[in-house]
Amino acid sequence: MARMKFLCDAERCIECNACVTACKNEHEVPWGINRRRVVTIDDGIPGEKSISVACMHCTDAPCQAVCPVDCFYTTADGVVLHDKDICIGCGYCFYACPFGAPQYPQEGAFGARGKMDKCTFCAGGPEEDNSVAEVEKYGRNRLAEGKLPLCAEMCSTKALIAGDGDIVADLFRSRVVRRGGRPDNWGWATAYKD
Amino acid sequence: MKLIVFLLGAFLLTACYEDTDVTMHKAGVYKGKEDSHALSAEERAEVLKLRFNSVQTDR
Repeated sequence: MARMKFLCDAERCIECNACVTACKNEHEVPWGINRRRVVTIDDGIPGEKSISVACMHCTDAPCQAVCPVDCFYTTADGVVLHDKDICIGCGYCFYACPFGAPQYPQEGAFGARGKMDKCTFCAGGPEEDNSVAEVEKYGRNRLAEGKLPLCAEMCSTKALIAGDGDIVADLFRSRVVRRGGRPDNWGWATAYKD
Repeated sequence: MKLIVFLLGAFLLTACYEDTDVTMHKAGVYKGKEDSHALSAEERAEVLKLRFNSVQTDR
């Protein structure tokens, strides 16, 4: 059975933020919520690295472990999803998540938190596939349409890849072998080809 | 008149019905809605594998 995973190749990511824009547009994510974001290390310094981060759909998800109302479930594809009708917006999952994936819309007065929102691997939620309720609560269900997450599908440099973990790992391994263990976007080999 | 009042009262009280079917929490058990799909997991995996090879191939 497939186990869906994201992988961001730091040697290819050019920090264009198109994945972030695509995600927000596809799922009509409200202002202030970022299901995906690009993190840059050593920004502005030669050799800086960027990676696109969202929910990594952990096999043994800490958010799932700490949830006091057990609103999380893992699909047969290995995607970690949650039921917003059960979520109480306590924020425990945010503290547990090492990637900062859970997001909370501000609802009501005094900055009261709403129900948690996170990347769904474009797999919607427990509502009927692509029903109005599912689209409103969780966004589009591309997996049900036989498509993979839009952020990865439209990545221009193919830095962000999403799919079955085994296939993703094979692809990344072939890239690393081709590079010879060194980055291929800068350095002598790039500057002085042939 | 009494009949009208009775019928009106009965009609209005129907709105006071409350579902007493409570879901009891059990630690570590997801009791939300079931996520059903048109295709089985194996069929979906095949479809998504084809999609991966057609859209996310290396360049």
